[in-house]
Amino acid sequence: MNAGTPHALLRKEDQRLITGTGQFSADAQAVGMLFGHVIRSPHAHARITRLDMSAVHAATGVRQVLTAQDVQAAGFTDLPNVVQVKDQQGQPQTVCNMPVLAHDKVLFVGQPVAWVVADTALQAQDAAELAQIDYDSLDVVVTFEDATAPDAVQLHAQAPSNTSVKFEAGNRAAVDVAFTKARFVSDIAIESQRLVGSPMEPRTVWAWHDETKGVTHVHTPTQGVGGMAGFLATITRWPHESMEVHTHDVGGSFGLRGTAYSEHLLVMLSTRQLKKPVRWVGSRSEVFVSDWHGRALRLHGHIALDELGHILAIRFENQVDVGAYNVYFSTHIGARNLSITMGGAYKVPALHMSSHIYFTNTVPVSAYRGAGRPDIAYAIDRLIDHAAHQHGLDGLAVRRKNFIAPQAFPYTTANQTVYDSGQFEAVMDHAIGISEAKGFGQRRADALQRGCLLGRGLAYYLEASGPGGAAKDQVRGSFDPQGILSLHALTGASGQGHETSFAQIVENEIGLPASAVRYLAGEPQHGLVGNTTGGSRTLYGAGSAIKNLCQQLMTQAKPAIAELWACVEADITHVKGEWQEVGGAQRRLRFADWVTSLGAQAAQVHAMGEATSGMTFPNGCHIAEVEIHIATGVAEVAHYWAVDDVGLVISPEQVLGQVQGGVVQGMGQAFGEHAIYDRETGQLLTGSYMDYPMPRAGGLVRHFHHETHAVHTELNLLGSKGVGESGCSGSLPALANAVTDALRQVGAPPIDMPFTPAKLWAAIMAAPRKP
Amino acid sequence: MKLTLTLNGTPRSADVPDRTLLADLLRDTFGMTGTHVGCDTSQCGCCTVNVDDQAVKSCTMLAMQADGCKVTTIEGLGANGLHPVQQAFSQCHGLQCGFCTPGMVMASVDLLRRNPKPTPAQIAEGLSGNLCRCTGYVNIIHAVQLASQVMHGNAP
Amino acid sequence: MYAFKYQRAESVTSAAEALSADDAAKVLSGGMTLLPSMKHRLIGPSKLIDLTRLTDLIGVREQADHWWVGAATRHQDVASHLGLQKTVPGLAQLAGLIGDPQVRARGTLGGSLANNDPSADYPAAALALQADILTERRNIQADDFFLGMFATALEPDEIITGVRFRTPLRSAYAKFKHPASGYAMAGVFVAQYPPAVADHGGWRVAVTGVANGVFRWQEAEQALVKGGATPALQRDDVIDDVHAPAAYRTHLAMLMLVQACQAFFDHPKPRCRAAP
Repeated sequence: MNAGTPHALLRKEDQRLITGTGQFSADAQAVGMLFGHVIRSPHAHARITRLDMSAVHAATGVRQVLTAQDVQAAGFTDLPNVVQVKDQQGQPQTVCNMPVLAHDKVLFVGQPVAWVVADTALQAQDAAELAQIDYDSLDVVVTFEDATAPDAVQLHAQAPSNTSVKFEAGNRAAVDVAFTKARFVSDIAIESQRLVGSPMEPRTVWAWHDETKGVTHVHTPTQGVGGMAGFLATITRWPHESMEVHTHDVGGSFGLRGTAYSEHLLVMLSTRQLKKPVRWVGSRSEVFVSDWHGRALRLHGHIALDELGHILAIRFENQVDVGAYNVYFSTHIGARNLSITMGGAYKVPALHMSSHIYFTNTVPVSAYRGAGRPDIAYAIDRLIDHAAHQHGLDGLAVRRKNFIAPQAFPYTTANQTVYDSGQFEAVMDHAIGISEAKGFGQRRADALQRGCLLGRGLAYYLEASGPGGAAKDQVRGSFDPQGILSLHALTGASGQGHETSFAQIVENEIGLPASAVRYLAGEPQHGLVGNTTGGSRTLYGAGSAIKNLCQQLMTQAKPAIAELWACVEADITHVKGEWQEVGGAQRRLRFADWVTSLGAQAAQVHAMGEATSGMTFPNGCHIAEVEIHIATGVAEVAHYWAVDDVGLVISPEQVLGQVQGGVVQGMGQAFGEHAIYDRETGQLLTGSYMDYPMPRAGGLVRHFHHETHAVHTELNLLGSKGVGESGCSGSLPALANAVTDALRQVGAPPIDMPFTPAKLWAAIMAAPRKP
Repeated sequence: MKLTLTLNGTPRSADVPDRTLLADLLRDTFGMTGTHVGCDTSQCGCCTVNVDDQAVKSCTMLAMQADGCKVTTIEGLGANGLHPVQQAFSQCHGLQCGFCTPGMVMASVDLLRRNPKPTPAQIAEGLSGNLCRCTGYVNIIHAVQLASQVMHGNAP
Repeated sequence: MYAFKYQRAESVTSAAEALSADDAAKVLSGGMTLLPSMKHRLIGPSKLIDLTRLTDLIGVREQADHWWVGAATRHQDVASHLGLQKTVPGLAQLAGLIGDPQVRARGTLGGSLANNDPSADYPAAALALQADILTERRNIQADDFFLGMFATALEPDEIITGVRFRTPLRSAYAKFKHPASGYAMAGVFVAQYPPAVADHGGWRVAVTGVANGVFRWQEAEQALVKGGATPALQRDDVIDDVHAPAAYRTHLAMLMLVQACQAFFDHPKPRCRAAP
């Protein structure tokens, strides 16, 4: 932070965001704009017996009312489920898609039932109250036991016991054999509780239809315009060319803004039919019961070790609550993401997982920061920690003994995931080295003096970043007459600072100052192939394409440089952003200077960068010391040390920012967040910030220390690994291990998150030993 | 109903339905969209503006209640260039997506007005009415500390 | 919100007349509870009569044996009042613990008392400090004012103008904040008076956030008089919800009692406290 340059801003994005001149989707106004309002089900499970909208139609300012019939008449499909799997017998999954508007049944509180468009948002809301809708309540199921019981009320006729699929991965036979040979066996069930993701910008969409061109323009926060356009085209069945998605500033996403919701489709339908712009802005209360929820997993892990502490096998039995419908990524989470790294950073000869994916009368679940990977990282590390303690083994020694060694890469796991690189023991030692381990005993004794139980937890996580479904990532670069390079891509930001990071890559590669580079991902990019942001792959995905672009810019200008120097191309090399003459006059010319010399002719310079980058394996060691105040049960994170291998670091401040943000979201899950449903009524009991405890500035980690430990990866041109979700993957197990360690002092058994004051206090009170 | 107020130093008038919230007046009537609406239970603080020298949640005030008042929004901060708090937020990477930032900055300005040299705990308490989902707050607290140093010097 | 008519009260009398003329009208003070309720369409008054510009309702003034605080006085003005911090530190402390800074800039004493949320803070102060709740037509003693969850002795068209808090020898407030809402999960206000001035030998202990309304903890008052230990709180209306089972809330009540009393041992004479 350079106090000597008072006007230096850290990121390009900052100027508009700190002055309130950003453009979030609810900020736009359009002439003649109309406003939509969703009528939502107040019941968790009911038949709709009457839907009389006549009074709504007649209300002041109302322009349109839509129900399921209208959506059907428009030819729209239901919301998609992106990944489908087969069950243990090879039978296809029972997929139950969510309709844009409910037909004859509602399956969760908050489900969209009808749509009203009026001249003002308040008029639409006033009119909505005149709807006469009768519901016949049905039994509600919210828990795994209730939902999958043989006689449970069925949400979907085609899904008995509310089961979508029982999925398996790995080799059950090999695991069973390994367990018979084990010296030590241990198991632990953990719950990664249902969460409300809650990016600070409520969900929003507005659209207008250009009659002359036959194009509907949709303005909404996304994680990439291409991805959203794809979903909208699939659902509407309108030609791709007839719609364009525009994304401006996005107020956080964490997975939740990447998909199309009912309101996107309704706004699009209304604007075409009414021939006026239509906007919908969600209230926070609505967003609580309509943004897809996160996590909602129960993972039961079993581990088998031999007499020397080598892991022989790991087995998981998972319960995956996807909510009332299969939407988007819930199966991907419950199948691929839970299994792909289920052995963690360890050599595990036999792995097996079964996931029972089931429906409940709750908000559907999809990807939220980590999307199953923090959950499995949490489960693995708790399993190892638990097994070590149960059998009197040293947890660090067990990890060391079983880490995949640096020389073993590329390493193929027992379930066919290929890890490319890692120095797990070195990273763990690095973390231990900075974590003041020697002083812990004294800190624990001091804490006890102050009436607190101090626990220390170490966790080693490994995750797989997103593989990317597109064939490659492309970034088109072109200069304008002023010598400014515009980078056009499909992968958008929601706080990650792409505009800054990608400009930095260009500056690193060819010396063009970051101030002369613009990154544009919010406008439709026709002819570009590339991935939407997600799974922590954008920095290396688009970044590699940008690196490739830079290389092309250097090589494709060689003929021009040869002409300039009156030499042959063979005599010109380039190092970073400088052409160098080999022999002769040994002339040098920097790319940036060459562009400047072109003047307005710079507009002739352009190239298409591309790269194919699959998944990477970010990993790291997080260590937490958590202090529980015995009298109140309040937990505070006294210290947090994190060392992450994220490969090559482009922007250290932003990497740190991502880790801090991810760790604090992990703290939120660890210490309080929980979307709690009433078992009888299916009402969401934590339906607002009054009841859902979001982390705030106070009561946080007192000392946070982060370092990176870069291990090179060849898996992409840039050499980086993802970092966006690692904070969650490292923090859940580190914090849980620390709390478990603290409770062990009084002989209390492990408990599940969230570690609320009431739960911790009760655990301490019930414990066999006094502090 | 008619109202008049001073907005970022300029007298402004409007005639709006009585149920109009101050946040809506600022965003929809006056086009000052820097003030954001993040919740409907007055908990998130994204809508924080300054009314008669106090930070308030504009979503929990009627426009009519601001009649005759002096209102400053994020757009009116730093009349010549950036306010030290805005500068510090950027320098310390105290923002990522930027949605909470206007409210967080306005609350920070008010906090420093009341307590020019706050401790980290006092900063956290002073921002107890503002939520951020991206940064984890660590850098926000650093930003307020830096702003305090710039505005009031290093001595405690 | 539903549509309504906003008007600014010219005087307390005219406001009271407007209320009695229209039983769907409500007075508006800080609005920190009223406006969110209206935004959720839980209520739909026909008219809001804004009291907050009536200077007669604003102020913090010391009298011989009590402090008068105007009903439209903002929480932060009570919290930061130097005289109040010195002589009734518990009251200033309590006001500084309500909500957050932005809420304290707008929320008022009168609004909080009239609403009587079972987890609000001010009712505990009123009960412990033997308050007289002054309306435009009468005085209501605190012991008679709070009638249970969201219910008070106020007539539908009655308006609080101010509160007289009887000046104690010592006072303290301890609060355990709900991790989400910031309301009291348990808030205990302890005030000590000369034995002749108050019943129960001079001690008054009021508890909020724990049960269906603020209440005086008589066993605690007796224990303080006798110098013994307070037994665990026994009530059958202790709040039991997803955030905290009844046993935990009961435990918190005791903790907050101890914490409030600790302030007395730390500061045997009334003294200034730093602003929050």
